[in-house]
Amino acid sequence: MDIFLQQLANGLTIGSMFALVALGYTMVYGVMKLINFAHGDMVAASAFVGLTIYTQVMGQATSLLAVITIFLLSAVCMACVGVILERVAYRPLRKAPRLSAVVSALGASLVIQNGIMLIWGPRMRIFPELVPQVYWDLGGVVISLIQVIILTLSLVLMVSLYLFVEKTRMGAAIRASSIDQDAARLMGINVNSIIALIFIIGSSLGAVGGLFIGLYYRGITFNMGWQYGLYAFIAAILGGIGNIPGAMLGGMLLGLFNAFIAGYVSSTWADAFTFILLILILIVRPTGILGERVAEKV
Amino acid sequence: MQKMFKVMLALVAVCLLAVPALAADTLKVGVQAPITGSYANEGQGIENGVRLLAEQINGKGGVLGKQIEVIVCDDQGTAMAAAICAKDLVNKGVSMVIGSYTSTCAEAAQKTYFNAGILQTSDGTADALTEKGYWTFLRNSFPNSAEAGFVAEYLVNVKKYQRIVVISDFSTYADGLANAAEAAIKKLGGNVVSRDKIKADSQNFTPVLTNIKSKNPDAIFFAGYYSDGGQLRAQQVALGIKADFYGGDANDNPDFVKLAGSAAAGAFIVNVPSPDVLPYDIAKSFIADYQKKYGEMPPSIWGLMNIDGMRAIIHAMEQNNSFDTKKAADFLHNMTEPLPGITGPIAFAKDGNRKGGAYVVKKIQADGSYSNEYVQ
Repeated sequence: MDIFLQQLANGLTIGSMFALVALGYTMVYGVMKLINFAHGDMVAASAFVGLTIYTQVMGQATSLLAVITIFLLSAVCMACVGVILERVAYRPLRKAPRLSAVVSALGASLVIQNGIMLIWGPRMRIFPELVPQVYWDLGGVVISLIQVIILTLSLVLMVSLYLFVEKTRMGAAIRASSIDQDAARLMGINVNSIIALIFIIGSSLGAVGGLFIGLYYRGITFNMGWQYGLYAFIAAILGGIGNIPGAMLGGMLLGLFNAFIAGYVSSTWADAFTFILLILILIVRPTGILGERVAEKV
Repeated sequence: MQKMFKVMLALVAVCLLAVPALAADTLKVGVQAPITGSYANEGQGIENGVRLLAEQINGKGGVLGKQIEVIVCDDQGTAMAAAICAKDLVNKGVSMVIGSYTSTCAEAAQKTYFNAGILQTSDGTADALTEKGYWTFLRNSFPNSAEAGFVAEYLVNVKKYQRIVVISDFSTYADGLANAAEAAIKKLGGNVVSRDKIKADSQNFTPVLTNIKSKNPDAIFFAGYYSDGGQLRAQQVALGIKADFYGGDANDNPDFVKLAGSAAAGAFIVNVPSPDVLPYDIAKSFIADYQKKYGEMPPSIWGLMNIDGMRAIIHAMEQNNSFDTKKAADFLHNMTEPLPGITGPIAFAKDGNRKGGAYVVKKIQADGSYSNEYVQ
């Protein structure tokens, strides 16, 4: 039972990181019907930006205020990068066939990944211990402070995003743009600024995810975006791509699934089982767990 | 048409022949190392070391009157890129290759160098590297089996651990070392309660460690690389597993301590002695030159081992007064007097293994420095 609960805690921690990153994929897909393959590399970039802010801007301060500032500044930086990315790589292709935009996304991914390598170098960079190493032993199950922070902050962000999209006028505009861009435009919604907003939200959530990866695992490499991007992409599909609660659910499920497979079967097989799960979901429910069947627009 | 084809073929053949002929003015030394990727730190250490040594030798007039030209290929620490590098370096006409850092990459490139008659010297410690009978391969470090024997002796007979866990990743080196250690521990009557494998670079080792925790071990031997070892140690401490952590030789890198952070203190590393404690004069002067040129210490002993391999090959060529690689290999396999090296005396056995070698167990202190816990 101890093992089960411990794996549950492990799974929820990595699951919430996957979920944060998956939100970036799913929101962009919801509005633009585009898989933003560069998102994973944006997440990696945010970890490096965060590290640079810590060493250069904050002068290696480790107070709570410093940590909050690092999170905010990184999110702002990545939001700007996200908007620029959309302006440069995707907006010119808005009317082009969908394949062109996907190729452009793959290209952007390579540019960002190699950009990180050129700026910060190919070596593994190491995050400082910004969160004190505090552990609680709850009857055999050990929970660390960083796990609690990751889980709580992710849930808060996800719930506020959900409320924002469902309850505000701006959220209604996002939902309208995702259903039909032309009709939304006729209703006086500026779809271009909605898309920019989507990139701002997606990229800053991704930045938080990237910083969590850095704080939790401590080692960051320029090519790690691919791995986390892939997992988050699977999480988004699992929950139903384009669906915001779906991405959260998908991320959590994927994290748990991965932890249990690695714990009870073998860590060797964790990836293989993850992909088998993806295939099964796509066969049984092609639209994902929470995805709705949408009539194909012809 | 057919005639034209023949002419073109002839031209191509001439070009191919002309390239090595033109290139014969310099002694080309290939470096195959992970310049990017997870082991970039080590790969760049090898490249920097080779460039420094080449500069020093060129400054003294080169080898038998020829200047050394260094050609670097980045194998990224992956077997696939290593195989491509091997072909590339052969095409560029190198006469020796230094590297790679990992056994997996050295192994993937071995056969290509053997077929081309190019000498290769690597710090790869997997026993498999010297079991193929390639005369071109010279190991400048000491094989896994030697380390495994030492680890088993230390864990079972010196420290008398009762419940030992052995972990590795899937690479040639790590898996080989872990299997050898497990066998050696069992042979001495030790109790291996679990033999686990992790996926390198996957970062999340907590699921595996959670299972290990339930087996209540008193010692963990990790036979993988520092980039995973540091995180493994941090996650071990975070999970409250009290066992003593022993990292194999590839954990001996400053990044291990940085990655593990405050959890690093109390972990043990098994390796040959570190560069900064090498007692040899030649080591002191080379390390001083290295620091002067690059502004930092060599990342680990491995780069220096590779430099010793290069020095040995060049020594053989000078003694033979010939650039013939087969003659150089014969010379090195039959050396009666070891060459004084940066990492100790160098001499090779007939199978290409380096002779000798002693291990130490180092304990990581709270400030991140090492103290020798046990010297063989």
